Amino acid sequence: MSETPSELWELPVEETARRVRSREVSAAEVTAAALARTEAVEPLIAAYLEIYSDAARERAADLDRRLAAGDDPGPLAGVPVALKDNLSLAGAKLTCGSKILTGYVAPYTATAVERLLAAGAVILGRANMDEFAMGSSCENSAYQLTRNPWDLDSVPGGSSGGPAAAVAAGSVPLGFGSDTGGSIRQPAAFCGVVGVKPTWGRVSRSGLVAFASSTDQIGPLARGVRDAALALAVIAGPDAADATCSERPVEDYRARLEEGIGGLKVGMIREVSREIDSAGFDPASARGWQGALDHLVRAGAEIVEVSVPSLDAAVAVYYVIANCEASANLARFDGVRYGRRAAADNLADLYVNSRSEGFGAEVKRRIMLGTLALSSGYYEAYYGRSRSVLERMRHELDTAFTKADVVVTPTAPTAAFGIGEKVDDPLAMYLSDIFTTPASLIGLPAVSLPTGVDDRGLPLSLQILGRPFDEATVLRAARALEVQVAWQHAPTFRAVRMAGGG
Amino acid sequence: MALTTEEVRRIASLARLRFTPEEESVFVHQLGRIVDYIDQLQRYEGEGSAETPSPVKEAEDVVRPCLPRERFLANAPESAFGEFLVVPEIKGGPE
Repeated sequence: MSETPSELWELPVEETARRVRSREVSAAEVTAAALARTEAVEPLIAAYLEIYSDAARERAADLDRRLAAGDDPGPLAGVPVALKDNLSLAGAKLTCGSKILTGYVAPYTATAVERLLAAGAVILGRANMDEFAMGSSCENSAYQLTRNPWDLDSVPGGSSGGPAAAVAAGSVPLGFGSDTGGSIRQPAAFCGVVGVKPTWGRVSRSGLVAFASSTDQIGPLARGVRDAALALAVIAGPDAADATCSERPVEDYRARLEEGIGGLKVGMIREVSREIDSAGFDPASARGWQGALDHLVRAGAEIVEVSVPSLDAAVAVYYVIANCEASANLARFDGVRYGRRAAADNLADLYVNSRSEGFGAEVKRRIMLGTLALSSGYYEAYYGRSRSVLERMRHELDTAFTKADVVVTPTAPTAAFGIGEKVDDPLAMYLSDIFTTPASLIGLPAVSLPTGVDDRGLPLSLQILGRPFDEATVLRAARALEVQVAWQHAPTFRAVRMAGGG
Repeated sequence: MALTTEEVRRIASLARLRFTPEEESVFVHQLGRIVDYIDQLQRYEGEGSAETPSPVKEAEDVVRPCLPRERFLANAPESAFGEFLVVPEIKGGPE
């Protein structure tokens, strides 16, 4: 944040934790400030499905008792966080934004959430999302419509729209979401915050409800790159509960964060430039993109051109592979063991009725697409072909990373779009994922950060991709760009002051 | 490739989903458009099918504590005696 924070809820994460650890402020005061701020903004944005006011106060009081006894709760001591509604917290409700999971209570805690608690975080609530993380606008939630803090008539993005809106509105300094094809980065872009999609295998997926297992990753949404780097360091690392989680040790992401990017080779994808130069591309986003590149150059980066010819197939490949995996992962919701059970006279109807009543339209659409692509007669042409195009894309990106240290693209083709604008046109909604899907398919780390605003004053963002497990360089580049941009814009909600507060 | 109503019904049956006639006609149209878009992949025909090596490590074959039964059953639509998941009585024959 470039402005001088005057209130507790505005402080950077490091500063909040420092003050709590040194007992300059209590965790109870920080939590009270976050709850008051949330109370002020929540009626306007509806970011949360549930706010844990009492549990958060109890947790903060417990942290304060531990601090008084000389205990150090950790690097997130007293820091309020919001969890997307697909991250398990034992004993708390978990719905994935779906009616099929109404009443479901998480039987165990996700590894990433356990690590947040072990680092001293206070969980403020469960935030809204597109049902089963399927969507780019949060409009597919079965429960409520979340609004963008920059413009109440615009979507917050998706699927992690709830945590993104909560962070942008100042309710919490950190949100945690999941990203399967852009579900952290795109809402981060729409809400003008920083979003990190780690390398696939960097953060344990244990306790995250599965959508497309080969691309799902948990990551932070934050107000700034330093906060995001700290949050990622807390949740990353090996986990015996997830066999696909890497055993590589976690780097200290903050060690070289401020070292700048003098001489860093930043790759610009020729096919992306061509897309941006085309007549159909949003002019404000094109100007924002050019501005961000200028900032990178001013920060000392050397721009190099790379080529990823298969990029234009990324959305098609993604929607085949992710939906094939989704159709398999969501087969478990059949009305037998948990979730909604519909009335039926025979077993086939039990499955069909429970699923047809429980799932929303977008989830059904994706299950249908995945089932089609995996069915006899189509498997080779769709799933098989997608896998081979994915391998071609991996090869092209590997080559790109021999010339460049990081690769940049816009995060999304436009700033936040209007509520209702794309709900009836699923394909148009899917096409907005053009820039985020490649990093998901290949499993690369990627960070989205705000770089400017469009004509309506809505945030525009840049995405920085890195080599596998090179989050440190991606974050360093993001930090250098953040310093150059010197972000001065604020959502409408910065103006919302707490009742009776300063 | 245009999708037919019969095709959509066949896929729905594989996916254990059912649609009203109105939903069906919307799906025929929407899925058809999406499948048309995905068909652009066919220009990559002839591409070798490269398999990605699995990153999954084999777990040691040792007994570990797992979710306690009562916590699992707490989410069941119906259970009995704290021991059993109850499934509905099936009166009809197979479809």
